[in-house]
Amino acid sequence: MKAFLANPLIVKEMRERFRKKITYWILGLYLFVMGAILLGFMYVNQLNSIMIPGENRELFILIAVIQYAMICFIAPALSAGTISGERERQTLHVLLTTQLSPGRIIWSKLLTSLAYIFLMVISSLPLYSFVFLYGGISPQQLFTLVLFFAVNIVFFGALGLFCSTWIKRTGVSTITAYGLAFFFVVGTGLVCLFTADLLQELYPQQYPPGDVYQEPALQMLAALNPVNVMFQLLGEELVPAGESFLPPWLIFTLCYLGFTGILVGWSTYLLHPVRRLPWHWTK
Amino acid sequence: MIQTVHLTKQYGKLEALHDLNLHIEKGKVFGFIGPNGAGKSTTMLILATLLAPTDGKAYVAGYDVVKEPKQVRQALGYMPDFFGVYDNLKTAEYLDFYAAAYNIPPAKRKSIIVDLLELVNLSDKADAYVDSLSRGMKQRLGLARCLVHSPDVLILDEPASGLDPRARIEMREILKQLRGMGKTILISSHILPELAELCDEIGVIEKGRLIACGAVEEVSAGTRGISVMQVKVLQSHDAARTVLQASPYVRRLDDKGSHFRFQFTGTEVDKAVLLQQLIGAGIPVVHFGESKENLEDVFLAITEGVGS
Repeated sequence: MKAFLANPLIVKEMRERFRKKITYWILGLYLFVMGAILLGFMYVNQLNSIMIPGENRELFILIAVIQYAMICFIAPALSAGTISGERERQTLHVLLTTQLSPGRIIWSKLLTSLAYIFLMVISSLPLYSFVFLYGGISPQQLFTLVLFFAVNIVFFGALGLFCSTWIKRTGVSTITAYGLAFFFVVGTGLVCLFTADLLQELYPQQYPPGDVYQEPALQMLAALNPVNVMFQLLGEELVPAGESFLPPWLIFTLCYLGFTGILVGWSTYLLHPVRRLPWHWTK
Repeated sequence: MIQTVHLTKQYGKLEALHDLNLHIEKGKVFGFIGPNGAGKSTTMLILATLLAPTDGKAYVAGYDVVKEPKQVRQALGYMPDFFGVYDNLKTAEYLDFYAAAYNIPPAKRKSIIVDLLELVNLSDKADAYVDSLSRGMKQRLGLARCLVHSPDVLILDEPASGLDPRARIEMREILKQLRGMGKTILISSHILPELAELCDEIGVIEKGRLIACGAVEEVSAGTRGISVMQVKVLQSHDAARTVLQASPYVRRLDDKGSHFRFQFTGTEVDKAVLLQQLIGAGIPVVHFGESKENLEDVFLAITEGVGS
């Protein structure tokens, strides 16, 4: 913690972010929207029916989906301007002449942009207490969901940061980050469904309906789709789960943390003012 | 302290810098003169470890800028021609951030910041937000930022650009203090007069080539036997202009209204003859001598014909 607080870039970024009024407005608005949707649905549900304790999963799924959509929307945007913003403000060159290494700059920027969205997610956790009030959800489910959100936040943050380092203008960087995020959230799912349909049409004998998803490659593809993994965590099934050597959420976590590592490493390489191969960075 | 050896930089087919050889000794102030796009900023970016040369070597404080960038960064303070500031930070916090970025322990930072703010005359603005400072103040803050880690070498790219005359004078006075502290300074400017009294040496760069280098007087007189003269008369302004225009040694006569400025290509004897001609024509001359502060004419004289 001491090392975290001693990092000048983190201290500076935190100071800058939490001195802006908009930071609090966004947080307030986020909680308001989340709370309004939840309470709105709770109100509507009880108009013509009685809420039965223990049968409240829909509400839980609803909040989880909305929160996930918010994460997909906010995380890339928060990090997509971190490096390009420094470039546009003409502060990057000066920053690179200090003793802060490009790697340290990248990690600090990632941590500070993610800290805010983690604050949003954590501050919205009390909303789940409404769901707990009626039962039907285990604390373990909530815990795994929060972990799943954490992996997504880190990945989307790294994706935005990579675009910000790669592309000079913040506007273009944000749009690119959204495009890539869309591919991972929706595109991987579409590729999985398309491939499954194609295999079924081409080889109907080999792949009777439903069995096609037992194919390891499709299992892998399905495990890379965050929406599918989230629904599995919530106890729903978008794609029939097959038998694989690792549970889908673990494959998802390992792969996406791996992607995050690659994106952070690549961003660090791109940020070096004089790019050299890593084995030449001896001094 | 600063050395470049056959330094060359190419952007595709465009050669921004060609075979630049510079040697700036410790404690010297070196003025880099040249028009926009001449290669000044490229040289400074390479020295500041922000750009790789295509060919050649560059050293700052004895360290290779490509192989030992970390040591180079510790030894130099770099101020780019355009730089931004972090708007939501206070002046003292801004300097504190950079001091921390140079790994200066927190216990030492406070006194360093107080001293630096005093040096750049911003002591009363320590708690002001950076975005509330004027352009001149921001520029001085940028200079203070360069000094947080007490570097031996300063690379200042157009430090007075965009400043009003008062702010420019303030900046010049601070630079004089830094020269007094023994800092080695490489400074560029397209506003040439501001460099004249500050620099020990100047280098004139045009189209990526160093075309003259040395002391200000050396460069102006030594390269082409040209000196820049200034003549002031009490009255008979038109007659004085006629006499000056008639002299075969007078070039680029500039009538400033209150005085004349021109390039003189003759010898000391020719100067004496010209003065006699002016007095002989009944013109009341109150000043006749070399203009020491105008590097613009020196630059124009040296670069005349370059690239054509």
